[in-house]
Amino acid sequence: MILLRNAKIFDGENLGKTCEDLLLKDGVVARRGTDLSAEGAEVFDLGGKTACPGFIDLHVHFRDPGYEWRENTESGAWAAAEGGFTTVVTMPNTDPAVDDPVTVEYLVARGKRAGASRVLPAGCVSKGRQGKHLAELALMAESGAVFFTDDGAPVSDAKLLKTALLYSRDLDVRIMEHPEEPSLSAKSQVNEGAVSAASGMKGCPASAEVIDIQRGIILSRETDSPIHFTHVSTELGMNAIRQAKKEGLAVTCDVTPHHLSLDETYILVSRFSSAYKVNPPLRTRKDVKALWDAVADGTADAIVTDHAPYHMDDKDVPFQEALSGIASLECAVAVVLDTWAKTGRPVPLERLLELFTSGPAALLSRPWRSLGSLKEGSPADVTVLDLEAIKRVDVNRWKSKARVCPWDGEMLQGWPVMALVEGRVVMNRLKDSE
Amino acid sequence: MEWRHKNLITLEGWTRDELAFFLDQTEYMEELLNRPIKKVPALRGKIVMNCFFENSTRTRASFEIAGKVLSADVINWSSSGSSASKGETLRDTVRTLEAMAADAVVVRHEEVGVPDYLAKKLTKASIFNAGDGTNGHPTQALLDLYTARQKLGNLEGAKMAIIGDVLHSRVARSDMQAFRKMGVHVTLSGPATLMPENTASLGVGYVSDAREAAEGADILYFLRMQRERQEDGLIPSIDEYHRRWGATESLVSLAAPRAVVMHPGPMNRGMEIASSVADGPRSLILDQVRSGVAVRMALLYLCLGGVR
Ligand SMILES: [Zn+2]
Repeated sequence: MILLRNAKIFDGENLGKTCEDLLLKDGVVARRGTDLSAEGAEVFDLGGKTACPGFIDLHVHFRDPGYEWRENTESGAWAAAEGGFTTVVTMPNTDPAVDDPVTVEYLVARGKRAGASRVLPAGCVSKGRQGKHLAELALMAESGAVFFTDDGAPVSDAKLLKTALLYSRDLDVRIMEHPEEPSLSAKSQVNEGAVSAASGMKGCPASAEVIDIQRGIILSRETDSPIHFTHVSTELGMNAIRQAKKEGLAVTCDVTPHHLSLDETYILVSRFSSAYKVNPPLRTRKDVKALWDAVADGTADAIVTDHAPYHMDDKDVPFQEALSGIASLECAVAVVLDTWAKTGRPVPLERLLELFTSGPAALLSRPWRSLGSLKEGSPADVTVLDLEAIKRVDVNRWKSKARVCPWDGEMLQGWPVMALVEGRVVMNRLKDSE
Repeated sequence: MEWRHKNLITLEGWTRDELAFFLDQTEYMEELLNRPIKKVPALRGKIVMNCFFENSTRTRASFEIAGKVLSADVINWSSSGSSASKGETLRDTVRTLEAMAADAVVVRHEEVGVPDYLAKKLTKASIFNAGDGTNGHPTQALLDLYTARQKLGNLEGAKMAIIGDVLHSRVARSDMQAFRKMGVHVTLSGPATLMPENTASLGVGYVSDAREAAEGADILYFLRMQRERQEDGLIPSIDEYHRRWGATESLVSLAAPRAVVMHPGPMNRGMEIASSVADGPRSLILDQVRSGVAVRMALLYLCLGGVR
């Protein structure tokens, strides 16, 4: 039994104006109210900090199986807890790829054994992510897969994507599409525009993203099946999704902390630091603004890290040789809160918190949807934020195995200071933040 | 002037005054080259490592001669095959160069950002970019600038047309930086498929029609055309390219009366430049090669502290 005292409570929709208490018992939220007491409960005084439903990250790479020197389920699950995420969805682009129920079960078991944040695997759309044959979607769903995606790449064949949408329609598991048209993005290193012009490196145009989003929208409409676009990075992409939502289609999307906070100019200013190399690439300032507009008006449904851990050998190399990806689980929430504060709080805090909690929860399969709420009876997953805390990002203290991060050494304001999964404390920095 | 640059990775951070000062230094160096005994002790005891991960006989020889004339010990570091371009080996190379106490490292690499990477890793040695992928070739820009100034005098307000495959040209990128800094108006021309997406962000103009770009220009700069661009599907045929953007006498005749013709070499004669133009009275192509040594002497001399 745990009693959290004196917190402003965000229940997934509304943020309380006054401080209240939460009693967690048997893995669920037992009571919410003022001046609660419970015999034998461990008591934490949150001193006015913000208690939210546990943060959910729908898109992380844990490199397990196959590349465990970069990250494994255990280091990843602890990194997630450290970063304030109580649930993460792992991408299936591993080796072997997560394309059968046995591998899904393996990851669920590994996640449980880690004892940190909840690990929910995504399975592939196609066998071996080859884009040729449908993977065993229904069996993977039964084993606990919560998304189907060929992430790392789009579903390469339109017919296959259509088949997958039809086949998964009644499985209660969404297709997550990594939106990219490969013929337009091939060999690209940066955004197409000022940085590709200045450096001569091959640019990835916005069309590469929006064409694939349009393909997905058309197929979603035709099959009457939901589709989710991950790490949307361009204004054009967001406009397409906004339009589809207006039409009433079950089209959803997410954005990443790095695309919300960094633009392509960082690549030139850093003189080609590989920490800024990511796919999709960092875009223009105008695109960054458009992503915040999408956060504000509900076009974006979730914020995901796309945590992409790499070994030094993969990243501490010249820009063109470096692999694409930003490792950020442990500072992502702070990056978003800091950017939000520094840009003059462009959206209400509630809206931002939704994108970490009830927004992503609504996209998970039915048993997990209650993770986005702190109502009585909901799972006792809680993330506590200290919006005032200012702390330096220090990759050397990370639980993640990754060590290259664009924010390393930066002072950021607004940090998660406590995380609980089903009433278990998996991260507690309350003392540091006093 | 107190010289404040230790490295030359890009000309971006150089001021116009620094460029002018550098070009004046280059003139002294060229005088040295005209002496019967071409050797001065300015950099005696300094070690210059030539690290060419990508072949370029011309640039390498030019740096080698420049170092030797100034009495530096020049070592040509050879990397074994293509594996040396991989980052891991590059990290080892860095450690080796540091251990061998190199004072300067000249690096040519097929990838963008390698000189930047070395400059972040090597704490003591000066780093000189001898060409990194499609990004930059600053010593080429300096020698182009020097050659044009020799011929035309003050370049302020001059018009330059850079014609050809700008998209894949490190020379074009560095030249745009350098010439613009000296007050030259630059216009690009070439097939739109061989132009960067966003020429406005580079501070230059673009016209598709080469004749329009050449009209009244003081400097006509033709870029090397790679045959593989046709295989990439970026141009329909070499012949069509030659007819629309090749350096022909009729194209050159549209330029200003004093106009000069430049090319970074090596040339595809007949393809991007007609022999009559390459060898004609306006051509500065051989002057460019000669200037290269003097420019690299000035660079080594200034950045390795020979100025004191
Ligand atoms: Zn992806």
